[in-house]
Amino acid sequence: MRNVRLQNTLLLAASYAVYWYLDARMLWLLVAATLLTYAAGLAIERLLHRGHEGAASCITTLGVTLAVALLVAFKYLDFFATETAACLNAIGLQASWTALHLILPIGLSFYVFKLISYLVEIHREHIPAEHDILAFAAYIAFFPTILAGPIDRPQHFLPQLHSPRQLDWEKTIGGAKMILWGAFMKVCIADQLAPITDMAWDVTCPVHKLAWWTFLFYPVQMYADFSGYSLMAIGVGRMLGLQVTANFKQPFLARNVAEYWRRWHMSLTSWVTDYVFIPLNIRWRNLGKVGQALAVTINLVVIGMWHGANWTYFLFGLYHALLFFPLIYKGTLAKRKKLKPGRWGIPAGADLGRMLLTYLLVAVAFVLFRAPDVPSAFGFFATLASPVVPSLPIVGGSQWMYIPIVLLTFVWEYVERDATSPLHFKGNGLLRHRMVRWAVYYILLLALYTCSADAGAQFIYTQF
Amino acid sequence: MSHDEIYDRLTKVFREVFDDEELCIDANTCADDVEEWDSLSHVQLIVSIEEEFGVRFTSREILKWRNVGEMADALAQKLN
Repeated sequence: MRNVRLQNTLLLAASYAVYWYLDARMLWLLVAATLLTYAAGLAIERLLHRGHEGAASCITTLGVTLAVALLVAFKYLDFFATETAACLNAIGLQASWTALHLILPIGLSFYVFKLISYLVEIHREHIPAEHDILAFAAYIAFFPTILAGPIDRPQHFLPQLHSPRQLDWEKTIGGAKMILWGAFMKVCIADQLAPITDMAWDVTCPVHKLAWWTFLFYPVQMYADFSGYSLMAIGVGRMLGLQVTANFKQPFLARNVAEYWRRWHMSLTSWVTDYVFIPLNIRWRNLGKVGQALAVTINLVVIGMWHGANWTYFLFGLYHALLFFPLIYKGTLAKRKKLKPGRWGIPAGADLGRMLLTYLLVAVAFVLFRAPDVPSAFGFFATLASPVVPSLPIVGGSQWMYIPIVLLTFVWEYVERDATSPLHFKGNGLLRHRMVRWAVYYILLLALYTCSADAGAQFIYTQF
Repeated sequence: MSHDEIYDRLTKVFREVFDDEELCIDANTCADDVEEWDSLSHVQLIVSIEEEFGVRFTSREILKWRNVGEMADALAQKLN
Protein backbone atom coordinates (compact mmCIF):
# COMPACT_ATOMS: atom_id res chain seq x y z
CA MET A 1 0.00 0.00 0.00
CA ARG A 2 2.97 2.29 0.67
CA ASN A 3 3.90 1.79 -2.99
CA VAL A 4 0.41 2.88 -4.07
CA ARG A 5 0.57 6.00 -1.91
CA LEU A 6 3.97 6.88 -3.37
CA GLN A 7 2.74 6.33 -6.91
CA ASN A 8 -0.39 8.43 -6.34
CA THR A 9 1.67 11.16 -4.65
CA LEU A 10 4.03 11.31 -7.62
CA LEU A 11 1.11 11.30 -10.04
CA LEU A 12 -0.59 14.13 -8.14
CA ALA A 13 2.62 16.15 -7.89
CA ALA A 14 3.22 15.72 -11.62
CA SER A 15 -0.38 16.69 -12.40
CA TYR A 16 -0.20 19.85 -10.29
CA ALA A 17 3.19 20.68 -11.79
CA VAL A 18 1.73 20.39 -15.29
CA TYR A 19 -1.25 22.53 -14.25
CA TRP A 20 1.08 25.10 -12.69
CA TYR A 21 2.97 25.29 -15.98
CA LEU A 22 -0.25 25.67 -17.99
CA ASP A 23 -2.26 27.97 -15.74
CA ALA A 24 -0.49 28.84 -12.48
CA ARG A 25 -2.94 31.57 -11.45
CA MET A 26 -5.86 29.09 -11.32
CA LEU A 27 -4.25 26.11 -9.62
CA TRP A 28 -5.81 27.28 -6.33
CA LEU A 29 -9.28 26.84 -7.89
CA LEU A 30 -8.54 23.25 -8.93
CA VAL A 31 -7.24 22.44 -5.44
CA ALA A 32 -10.13 24.19 -3.64
CA ALA A 33 -12.79 22.53 -5.82
CA THR A 34 -11.12 19.15 -5.26
CA LEU A 35 -11.03 19.54 -1.46
CA LEU A 36 -14.63 20.77 -1.23
CA THR A 37 -15.91 17.92 -3.40
CA TYR A 38 -13.88 15.37 -1.43
CA ALA A 39 -15.49 16.63 1.81
CA ALA A 40 -18.95 16.71 0.24
CA GLY A 41 -18.57 13.12 -0.97
CA LEU A 42 -17.74 11.87 2.51
CA ALA A 43 -20.65 13.82 3.99
CA ILE A 44 -23.15 12.44 1.45
CA GLU A 45 -22.04 8.86 2.13
CA ARG A 46 -22.23 9.30 5.93
CA LEU A 47 -25.73 10.83 5.70
CA LEU A 48 -26.97 8.03 3.44
CA HIS A 49 -25.62 5.37 5.82
CA ARG A 50 -27.49 7.03 8.68
CA GLY A 51 -30.72 7.14 6.66
CA HIS A 52 -30.76 10.92 6.22
CA GLU A 53 -31.65 10.84 2.52
CA GLY A 54 -33.04 14.37 2.48
CA ALA A 55 -29.86 15.89 3.90
CA ALA A 56 -27.72 13.80 1.54
CA SER A 57 -29.76 15.09 -1.40
CA CYS A 58 -29.29 18.67 -0.14
CA ILE A 59 -25.50 18.33 -0.01
CA THR A 60 -25.45 16.69 -3.45
CA THR A 61 -27.60 19.46 -4.92
CA LEU A 62 -25.43 22.11 -3.26
CA GLY A 63 -22.22 20.52 -4.51
CA VAL A 64 -23.49 20.11 -8.05
CA THR A 65 -24.93 23.65 -8.06
CA LEU A 66 -21.61 25.14 -6.92
CA ALA A 67 -19.74 23.20 -9.59
CA VAL A 68 -22.18 24.31 -12.28
CA ALA A 69 -22.05 27.89 -10.92
CA LEU A 70 -18.26 27.83 -11.31
CA LEU A 71 -18.61 26.82 -14.95
CA VAL A 72 -21.38 29.34 -15.58
CA ALA A 73 -19.43 32.17 -13.95
CA PHE A 74 -16.34 31.67 -16.08
CA LYS A 75 -17.95 30.49 -19.26
CA TYR A 76 -21.47 31.82 -19.64
CA LEU A 77 -22.10 34.72 -17.29
CA ASP A 78 -21.10 37.48 -19.72
CA PHE A 79 -23.05 35.83 -22.54
CA PHE A 80 -26.31 35.35 -20.62
CA ALA A 81 -26.12 38.72 -18.90
CA THR A 82 -25.38 40.56 -22.15
CA GLU A 83 -28.19 38.77 -23.99
CA THR A 84 -30.61 39.41 -21.11
CA ALA A 85 -29.70 43.11 -21.07
CA ALA A 86 -30.20 43.25 -24.85
CA CYS A 87 -33.67 41.63 -24.50
CA LEU A 88 -34.64 44.05 -21.74
CA ASN A 89 -33.45 47.01 -23.80
CA ALA A 90 -35.41 45.72 -26.79
CA ILE A 91 -38.64 45.91 -24.76
CA GLY A 92 -37.88 49.36 -23.48
CA LEU A 93 -36.40 48.51 -20.08
CA GLN A 94 -33.02 50.09 -19.45
CA ALA A 95 -30.42 47.52 -18.64
CA SER A 96 -26.71 47.15 -19.14
CA TRP A 97 -23.99 44.69 -18.21
CA THR A 98 -20.29 45.41 -17.93
CA ALA A 99 -18.58 42.29 -19.20
CA LEU A 100 -16.28 40.66 -16.66
CA HIS A 101 -14.15 39.01 -19.36
CA LEU A 102 -13.10 36.26 -16.98
CA ILE A 103 -10.49 34.03 -18.60
CA LEU A 104 -11.60 30.41 -18.56
CA PRO A 105 -9.27 28.35 -16.33
CA ILE A 106 -7.53 25.55 -18.21
CA GLY A 107 -9.46 22.29 -18.05
CA LEU A 108 -12.39 23.75 -16.06
CA SER A 109 -15.03 22.28 -18.40
CA PHE A 110 -13.48 18.86 -17.96
CA TYR A 111 -12.68 18.66 -14.27
CA VAL A 112 -15.98 20.23 -13.19
CA PHE A 113 -17.74 17.38 -14.99
CA LYS A 114 -15.60 14.87 -13.09
CA LEU A 115 -16.52 16.55 -9.78
CA ILE A 116 -20.25 16.51 -10.61
CA SER A 117 -20.29 12.85 -11.67
CA TYR A 118 -18.43 11.90 -8.47
CA LEU A 119 -21.06 13.48 -6.20
CA VAL A 120 -24.00 12.13 -8.22
CA GLU A 121 -22.64 8.57 -8.30
CA ILE A 122 -22.18 8.60 -4.50
CA HIS A 123 -25.72 9.91 -4.07
CA ARG A 124 -27.03 7.16 -6.39
CA GLU A 125 -25.08 4.69 -4.19
CA HIS A 126 -23.18 3.40 -7.22
CA ILE A 127 -19.75 4.10 -5.72
CA PRO A 128 -18.38 4.57 -2.22
CA ALA A 129 -16.91 7.95 -1.32
CA GLU A 130 -13.15 8.08 -1.79
CA HIS A 131 -11.36 8.27 1.55
CA ASP A 132 -7.87 8.60 0.08
CA ILE A 133 -7.47 12.33 -0.65
CA LEU A 134 -4.33 11.72 -2.74
CA ALA A 135 -6.10 9.25 -5.02
CA PHE A 136 -9.11 11.54 -5.39
CA ALA A 137 -7.00 14.61 -6.14
CA ALA A 138 -4.92 12.59 -8.63
CA TYR A 139 -8.12 11.48 -10.40
CA ILE A 140 -9.40 15.05 -10.71
CA ALA A 141 -6.10 16.59 -11.78
CA PHE A 142 -4.82 13.63 -13.89
CA PHE A 143 -2.45 15.48 -16.19
CA PRO A 144 -2.87 13.59 -19.52
CA THR A 145 -6.60 14.40 -19.55
CA ILE A 146 -6.89 17.68 -17.60
CA LEU A 147 -6.45 19.82 -20.74
CA ALA A 148 -9.11 18.39 -23.03
CA GLY A 149 -10.41 15.05 -21.70
CA PRO A 150 -11.45 12.29 -22.16
CA ILE A 151 -13.74 12.75 -19.14
CA ASP A 152 -13.14 9.70 -16.94
CA ARG A 153 -15.85 8.48 -14.60
CA PRO A 154 -15.01 7.86 -10.96
CA GLN A 155 -16.33 4.27 -11.01
CA HIS A 156 -13.82 3.32 -13.73
CA PHE A 157 -10.82 5.40 -12.75
CA LEU A 158 -10.67 5.58 -8.95
CA PRO A 159 -10.40 1.78 -8.39
CA GLN A 160 -7.28 1.80 -10.58
CA LEU A 161 -5.60 4.19 -8.15
CA HIS A 162 -6.09 1.72 -5.28
CA SER A 163 -3.70 -0.83 -6.78
CA PRO A 164 0.01 -0.40 -7.47
CA ARG A 165 0.85 -0.09 -11.15
CA GLN A 166 3.69 -2.19 -12.52
CA LEU A 167 5.81 -1.24 -15.50
CA ASP A 168 4.39 -3.43 -18.25
CA TRP A 169 6.19 -3.81 -21.59
CA GLU A 170 3.04 -4.54 -23.59
CA LYS A 171 1.19 -1.56 -22.10
CA THR A 172 4.19 0.69 -22.68
CA ILE A 173 4.40 -0.34 -26.34
CA GLY A 174 0.63 -0.08 -26.74
CA GLY A 175 0.72 3.40 -25.22
CA ALA A 176 3.60 4.46 -27.45
CA LYS A 177 1.70 3.27 -30.54
CA MET A 178 -1.33 5.30 -29.48
CA ILE A 179 0.83 8.39 -29.02
CA LEU A 180 2.44 7.85 -32.44
CA TRP A 181 -0.89 7.45 -34.20
CA GLY A 182 -2.45 10.36 -32.28
CA ALA A 183 0.48 12.62 -33.13
CA PHE A 184 0.21 11.58 -36.79
CA MET A 185 -3.49 12.48 -36.84
CA LYS A 186 -2.86 15.83 -35.19
CA VAL A 187 0.29 16.94 -37.01
CA CYS A 188 -0.03 15.30 -40.43
CA ILE A 189 -3.75 15.65 -40.95
CA ALA A 190 -5.34 18.25 -38.65
CA ASP A 191 -2.51 20.79 -38.83
CA GLN A 192 -2.21 20.40 -42.61
CA LEU A 193 -5.92 21.05 -43.11
CA ALA A 194 -6.12 23.95 -40.64
CA PRO A 195 -4.45 26.67 -42.80
CA ILE A 196 -6.86 25.87 -45.66
CA THR A 197 -10.04 25.88 -43.59
CA ASP A 198 -8.85 29.01 -41.75
CA MET A 199 -8.60 30.84 -45.07
CA ALA A 200 -12.26 30.19 -45.86
CA TRP A 201 -13.20 31.50 -42.41
CA ASP A 202 -10.84 34.45 -42.33
CA VAL A 203 -12.65 37.38 -40.74
CA THR A 204 -11.10 40.16 -42.83
CA CYS A 205 -10.67 38.43 -46.18
CA PRO A 206 -12.40 35.04 -46.47
CA VAL A 207 -11.39 32.97 -49.49
CA HIS A 208 -14.79 31.99 -50.87
CA LYS A 209 -13.34 29.57 -53.44
CA LEU A 210 -12.28 27.34 -50.54
CA ALA A 211 -15.78 27.18 -49.02
CA TRP A 212 -16.72 23.76 -50.43
CA TRP A 213 -13.33 22.26 -49.53
CA THR A 214 -13.65 23.64 -46.04
CA PHE A 215 -17.20 22.30 -45.75
CA LEU A 216 -16.03 18.81 -46.77
CA PHE A 217 -12.75 18.69 -44.85
CA TYR A 218 -13.43 20.60 -41.64
CA PRO A 219 -15.06 17.53 -39.96
CA VAL A 220 -11.92 15.58 -40.84
CA GLN A 221 -9.73 18.30 -39.33
CA MET A 222 -11.81 18.36 -36.14
CA TYR A 223 -11.73 14.58 -35.85
CA ALA A 224 -8.01 14.33 -36.49
CA ASP A 225 -7.22 17.13 -34.02
CA PHE A 226 -9.43 15.94 -31.20
CA SER A 227 -9.05 12.18 -31.61
CA GLY A 228 -5.31 12.71 -32.05
CA TYR A 229 -5.15 14.52 -28.73
CA SER A 230 -7.39 11.93 -27.04
CA LEU A 231 -5.23 9.07 -28.31
CA MET A 232 -2.09 10.74 -27.00
CA ALA A 233 -3.72 11.27 -23.59
CA ILE A 234 -4.96 7.65 -23.49
CA GLY A 235 -1.52 6.45 -24.62
CA VAL A 236 0.25 8.33 -21.82
CA GLY A 237 -2.28 6.91 -19.37
CA ARG A 238 -1.58 3.41 -20.64
CA MET A 239 2.15 3.85 -20.21
CA LEU A 240 1.42 4.83 -16.60
CA GLY A 241 -0.59 1.62 -16.21
CA LEU A 242 -3.94 3.40 -16.15
CA GLN A 243 -6.93 2.79 -18.44
CA VAL A 244 -8.45 6.01 -19.73
CA THR A 245 -11.87 5.92 -21.35
CA ALA A 246 -12.04 5.98 -25.15
CA ASN A 247 -13.33 9.11 -26.84
CA PHE A 248 -13.84 8.13 -30.47
CA LYS A 249 -14.83 5.02 -32.37
CA GLN A 250 -14.52 5.71 -36.11
CA PRO A 251 -17.36 8.28 -36.09
CA PHE A 252 -17.49 8.65 -39.86
CA LEU A 253 -18.57 5.03 -40.19
CA ALA A 254 -21.88 6.11 -38.56
CA ARG A 255 -24.98 5.38 -40.63
CA ASN A 256 -27.22 7.87 -38.82
CA VAL A 257 -26.84 10.71 -36.35
CA ALA A 258 -27.65 8.55 -33.31
CA GLU A 259 -24.82 6.19 -34.22
CA TYR A 260 -22.57 9.22 -34.85
CA TRP A 261 -23.07 10.45 -31.29
CA ARG A 262 -22.29 6.96 -30.00
CA ARG A 263 -18.92 7.24 -31.77
CA TRP A 264 -18.00 10.98 -31.39
CA HIS A 265 -16.58 12.51 -28.18
CA MET A 266 -17.99 9.50 -26.35
CA SER A 267 -16.88 10.57 -22.87
CA LEU A 268 -18.84 13.85 -23.12
CA THR A 269 -21.87 12.28 -24.83
CA SER A 270 -22.15 9.49 -22.26
CA TRP A 271 -21.69 11.99 -19.41
CA VAL A 272 -24.52 14.24 -20.62
CA THR A 273 -26.63 11.14 -21.43
CA ASP A 274 -26.23 9.75 -17.90
CA TYR A 275 -26.76 13.01 -15.98
CA VAL A 276 -29.12 14.99 -18.22
CA PHE A 277 -30.85 12.76 -20.81
CA ILE A 278 -31.60 9.67 -18.71
CA PRO A 279 -33.08 11.56 -15.71
CA LEU A 280 -35.24 13.67 -18.06
CA ASN A 281 -36.26 10.67 -20.16
CA ILE A 282 -37.22 8.79 -16.98
CA ARG A 283 -39.16 11.76 -15.64
CA TRP A 284 -41.06 12.13 -18.93
CA ARG A 285 -41.33 8.44 -19.71
CA ASN A 286 -45.11 8.52 -19.96
CA LEU A 287 -45.07 11.31 -22.55
CA GLY A 288 -43.95 8.78 -25.20
CA LYS A 289 -42.14 10.11 -28.26
CA VAL A 290 -42.78 13.74 -27.33
CA GLY A 291 -41.00 13.24 -24.00
CA GLN A 292 -38.16 11.49 -25.78
CA ALA A 293 -37.83 14.31 -28.34
CA LEU A 294 -37.77 16.92 -25.57
CA ALA A 295 -35.11 15.03 -23.61
CA VAL A 296 -32.98 14.53 -26.75
CA THR A 297 -33.24 18.24 -27.60
CA ILE A 298 -32.16 19.39 -24.13
CA ASN A 299 -29.39 16.76 -24.18
CA LEU A 300 -27.94 17.99 -27.45
CA VAL A 301 -28.34 21.68 -26.66
CA VAL A 302 -26.37 21.07 -23.44
CA ILE A 303 -23.69 19.27 -25.46
CA GLY A 304 -23.60 22.16 -27.91
CA MET A 305 -23.49 24.88 -25.25
CA TRP A 306 -20.84 23.02 -23.27
CA HIS A 307 -18.48 24.08 -26.03
CA GLY A 308 -18.99 27.74 -25.30
CA ALA A 309 -21.21 30.76 -24.86
CA ASN A 310 -22.35 31.47 -28.39
CA TRP A 311 -25.67 31.12 -30.22
CA THR A 312 -23.80 29.10 -32.84
CA TYR A 313 -23.26 26.31 -30.30
CA PHE A 314 -26.92 26.48 -29.31
CA LEU A 315 -27.94 26.12 -32.97
CA PHE A 316 -25.38 23.33 -33.40
CA GLY A 317 -27.11 21.36 -30.63
CA LEU A 318 -30.60 22.21 -31.87
CA TYR A 319 -29.75 21.17 -35.44
CA HIS A 320 -28.43 17.80 -34.25
CA ALA A 321 -31.58 17.32 -32.17
CA LEU A 322 -33.71 17.91 -35.29
CA LEU A 323 -31.76 15.16 -37.05
CA PHE A 324 -32.86 12.78 -34.28
CA PHE A 325 -36.58 13.47 -34.77
CA PRO A 326 -37.09 11.13 -37.77
CA LEU A 327 -35.43 8.31 -35.79
CA ILE A 328 -37.63 9.03 -32.74
CA TYR A 329 -40.76 9.14 -34.93
CA LYS A 330 -39.88 5.84 -36.64
CA GLY A 331 -38.98 4.26 -33.28
CA THR A 332 -35.53 3.29 -34.53
CA LEU A 333 -33.53 5.54 -32.20
CA ALA A 334 -32.18 2.68 -30.11
CA LYS A 335 -31.69 0.30 -33.03
CA ARG A 336 -28.09 -0.82 -33.49
CA LYS A 337 -27.10 -2.77 -36.57
CA LYS A 338 -23.64 -4.30 -36.83
CA LEU A 339 -21.61 -2.97 -39.76
CA LYS A 340 -21.37 -5.96 -42.12
CA PRO A 341 -18.86 -5.65 -44.96
CA GLY A 342 -20.20 -6.22 -48.46
CA ARG A 343 -18.27 -7.44 -51.49
CA TRP A 344 -14.48 -7.26 -51.27
CA GLY A 345 -14.74 -6.22 -47.65
CA ILE A 346 -16.03 -2.70 -48.32
CA PRO A 347 -19.31 -1.50 -46.76
CA ALA A 348 -22.47 -2.53 -48.63
CA GLY A 349 -23.89 0.10 -51.00
CA ALA A 350 -26.78 1.10 -48.73
CA ASP A 351 -24.46 1.42 -45.70
CA LEU A 352 -21.95 3.45 -47.69
CA GLY A 353 -24.73 5.78 -48.83
CA ARG A 354 -25.94 6.27 -45.25
CA MET A 355 -22.38 6.97 -44.09
CA LEU A 356 -21.91 9.64 -46.74
CA LEU A 357 -25.29 11.22 -45.98
CA THR A 358 -24.54 11.26 -42.25
CA TYR A 359 -21.14 12.80 -42.96
CA LEU A 360 -22.73 15.61 -45.01
CA LEU A 361 -25.36 16.27 -42.35
CA VAL A 362 -22.62 16.43 -39.70
CA ALA A 363 -20.57 18.74 -41.95
CA VAL A 364 -23.50 21.20 -41.98
CA ALA A 365 -23.45 21.18 -38.16
CA PHE A 366 -19.72 21.85 -38.18
CA VAL A 367 -20.31 25.07 -40.14
CA LEU A 368 -22.37 26.27 -37.16
CA PHE A 369 -19.68 24.97 -34.82
CA ARG A 370 -16.83 26.75 -36.59
CA ALA A 371 -18.57 30.06 -37.34
CA PRO A 372 -17.67 32.98 -35.01
CA ASP A 373 -21.33 34.05 -34.98
CA VAL A 374 -24.70 33.18 -36.51
CA PRO A 375 -24.61 35.70 -39.43
CA SER A 376 -21.19 34.32 -40.48
CA ALA A 377 -22.58 30.77 -40.44
CA PHE A 378 -25.46 31.71 -42.73
CA GLY A 379 -23.08 33.76 -44.87
CA PHE A 380 -21.01 30.59 -45.30
CA PHE A 381 -24.10 28.59 -46.31
CA ALA A 382 -24.91 31.34 -48.82
CA THR A 383 -21.39 31.04 -50.25
CA LEU A 384 -21.87 27.28 -50.63
CA ALA A 385 -25.10 27.87 -52.50
CA SER A 386 -23.65 30.55 -54.77
CA PRO A 387 -22.02 29.73 -58.13
CA VAL A 388 -18.45 30.13 -56.81
CA VAL A 389 -15.97 27.80 -58.49
CA PRO A 390 -14.26 25.70 -55.81
CA SER A 391 -10.49 25.57 -56.14
CA LEU A 392 -7.97 22.95 -55.10
CA PRO A 393 -5.93 24.49 -52.31
CA ILE A 394 -2.23 24.82 -53.08
CA VAL A 395 -0.83 26.53 -50.05
CA GLY A 396 2.54 24.92 -49.59
CA GLY A 397 5.00 22.30 -50.91
CA SER A 398 3.50 19.27 -49.16
CA GLN A 399 -0.15 20.35 -49.05
CA TRP A 400 -1.14 18.38 -52.20
CA MET A 401 -0.54 15.19 -50.20
CA TYR A 402 -3.46 15.81 -47.85
CA ILE A 403 -6.14 14.26 -50.10
CA PRO A 404 -4.59 10.78 -50.38
CA ILE A 405 -3.49 10.97 -46.72
CA VAL A 406 -7.06 11.70 -45.60
CA LEU A 407 -8.49 8.98 -47.86
CA LEU A 408 -5.91 6.42 -46.73
CA THR A 409 -6.56 7.30 -43.09
CA PHE A 410 -10.26 6.59 -43.48
CA VAL A 411 -9.63 3.37 -45.36
CA TRP A 412 -7.25 2.38 -42.56
CA GLU A 413 -9.84 3.26 -39.90
CA TYR A 414 -12.42 1.10 -41.69
CA VAL A 415 -10.04 -1.82 -42.04
CA GLU A 416 -9.00 -1.52 -38.37
CA ARG A 417 -12.51 -0.86 -37.05
CA ASP A 418 -12.54 -3.92 -34.80
CA ALA A 419 -9.00 -3.42 -33.48
CA THR A 420 -8.76 -2.71 -29.75
CA SER A 421 -6.22 0.07 -30.27
CA PRO A 422 -4.35 1.78 -33.12
CA LEU A 423 -1.47 0.09 -34.95
CA HIS A 424 -2.56 -3.23 -33.44
CA PHE A 425 -1.33 -5.49 -36.21
CA LYS A 426 -1.83 -9.02 -34.89
CA GLY A 427 -3.20 -11.36 -37.54
CA ASN A 428 -3.33 -8.83 -40.37
CA GLY A 429 -1.72 -10.56 -43.35
CA LEU A 430 1.32 -8.64 -44.52
CA LEU A 431 1.40 -6.58 -41.33
CA ARG A 432 2.22 -9.63 -39.25
CA HIS A 433 5.77 -9.37 -40.55
CA ARG A 434 8.03 -7.37 -38.27
CA MET A 435 9.83 -5.54 -41.07
CA VAL A 436 6.55 -4.35 -42.56
CA ARG A 437 5.31 -3.15 -39.17
CA TRP A 438 8.54 -1.26 -38.52
CA ALA A 439 8.36 0.26 -42.00
CA VAL A 440 4.90 1.62 -41.10
CA TYR A 441 6.25 3.08 -37.83
CA TYR A 442 9.16 4.75 -39.64
CA ILE A 443 6.87 6.16 -42.33
CA LEU A 444 4.67 7.67 -39.62
CA LEU A 445 7.69 9.16 -37.84
CA LEU A 446 9.01 10.55 -41.11
CA ALA A 447 5.60 12.04 -41.88
CA LEU A 448 5.57 13.62 -38.40
CA TYR A 449 9.04 15.07 -38.92
CA THR A 450 8.11 16.43 -42.37
CA CYS A 451 4.84 17.98 -41.27
CA SER A 452 5.78 19.40 -37.88
CA ALA A 453 7.04 22.76 -39.15
CA ASP A 454 4.56 24.73 -37.06
CA ALA A 455 5.58 23.98 -33.46
CA GLY A 456 3.08 26.46 -32.05
CA ALA A 457 -0.13 24.73 -33.24
CA GLN A 458 -2.77 24.34 -30.52
CA PHE A 459 -5.26 21.56 -29.86
CA ILE A 460 -8.72 22.84 -30.81
CA TYR A 461 -10.49 21.38 -27.77
CA THR A 462 -8.27 23.09 -25.15
CA GLN A 463 -10.26 26.27 -25.84
CA PHE A 464 -13.37 24.60 -24.41
CA MET B 1 -45.85 -12.18 -5.07
CA SER B 2 -43.00 -14.68 -4.80
CA HIS B 3 -39.43 -14.13 -5.93
CA ASP B 4 -39.84 -16.70 -8.75
CA GLU B 5 -43.05 -15.11 -10.01
CA ILE B 6 -41.38 -11.72 -10.17
CA TYR B 7 -38.47 -13.13 -12.17
CA ASP B 8 -40.80 -15.04 -14.51
CA ARG B 9 -42.76 -11.92 -15.34
CA LEU B 10 -39.61 -9.81 -15.57
CA THR B 11 -38.14 -12.32 -18.04
CA LYS B 12 -41.28 -12.03 -20.15
CA VAL B 13 -40.95 -8.22 -20.19
CA PHE B 14 -37.24 -8.34 -21.03
CA ARG B 15 -37.88 -10.75 -23.90
CA GLU B 16 -40.61 -8.47 -25.31
CA VAL B 17 -38.63 -5.25 -24.99
CA PHE B 18 -35.41 -6.68 -26.44
CA ASP B 19 -37.23 -8.90 -28.94
CA ASP B 20 -35.29 -12.00 -27.90
CA GLU B 21 -37.27 -15.14 -26.97
CA GLU B 22 -34.17 -16.82 -25.60
CA LEU B 23 -33.02 -14.02 -23.32
CA CYS B 24 -32.40 -15.20 -19.75
CA ILE B 25 -31.91 -12.91 -16.79
CA ASP B 26 -30.75 -13.33 -13.23
CA ALA B 27 -29.99 -11.06 -10.29
CA ASN B 28 -26.61 -10.01 -11.70
CA THR B 29 -27.77 -9.22 -15.22
CA CYS B 30 -27.04 -5.62 -16.14
CA ALA B 31 -26.90 -3.40 -19.26
CA ASP B 32 -23.42 -4.67 -20.15
CA ASP B 33 -24.85 -8.21 -20.58
CA VAL B 34 -27.58 -7.36 -23.09
CA GLU B 35 -26.45 -5.84 -26.37
CA GLU B 36 -29.54 -3.73 -27.03
CA TRP B 37 -29.85 -2.45 -23.46
CA ASP B 38 -28.87 1.23 -23.53
CA SER B 39 -30.25 4.47 -22.08
CA LEU B 40 -33.20 4.52 -24.51
CA SER B 41 -34.26 0.91 -24.22
CA HIS B 42 -33.79 1.23 -20.43
CA VAL B 43 -36.68 3.70 -20.28
CA GLN B 44 -38.82 1.47 -22.53
CA LEU B 45 -38.03 -1.39 -20.15
CA ILE B 46 -39.08 0.61 -17.10
CA VAL B 47 -42.37 1.69 -18.70
CA SER B 48 -43.10 -1.93 -19.65
CA ILE B 49 -42.23 -3.20 -16.14
CA GLU B 50 -44.44 -0.56 -14.53
CA GLU B 51 -47.32 -1.53 -16.85
CA GLU B 52 -46.80 -5.25 -16.28
CA PHE B 53 -46.73 -5.02 -12.48
CA GLY B 54 -49.04 -2.01 -12.06
CA VAL B 55 -46.50 -0.01 -10.05
CA ARG B 56 -44.82 3.37 -10.33
CA PHE B 57 -41.24 4.08 -9.32
CA THR B 58 -39.67 7.44 -8.52
CA SER B 59 -36.77 8.71 -10.63
CA ARG B 60 -34.41 8.28 -7.66
CA GLU B 61 -35.39 4.63 -7.22
CA ILE B 62 -34.85 3.94 -10.93
CA LEU B 63 -31.48 5.73 -11.08
CA LYS B 64 -30.17 3.70 -8.12
CA TRP B 65 -30.60 0.30 -9.82
CA ARG B 66 -27.40 -1.32 -10.99
CA ASN B 67 -28.73 -4.72 -12.05
CA VAL B 68 -31.87 -6.82 -12.40
CA GLY B 69 -31.52 -8.02 -8.80
CA GLU B 70 -31.93 -4.50 -7.42
CA MET B 71 -34.83 -3.94 -9.83
CA ALA B 72 -36.52 -7.16 -8.58
CA ASP B 73 -35.94 -6.20 -4.92
CA ALA B 74 -37.59 -2.83 -5.53
CA LEU B 75 -40.53 -4.59 -7.20
CA ALA B 76 -40.89 -7.03 -4.29
CA GLN B 77 -40.95 -4.11 -1.84
CA LYS B 78 -43.65 -2.32 -3.81
CA LEU B 79 -45.81 -5.42 -4.27
CA ASN B 80 -45.55 -6.97 -0.79
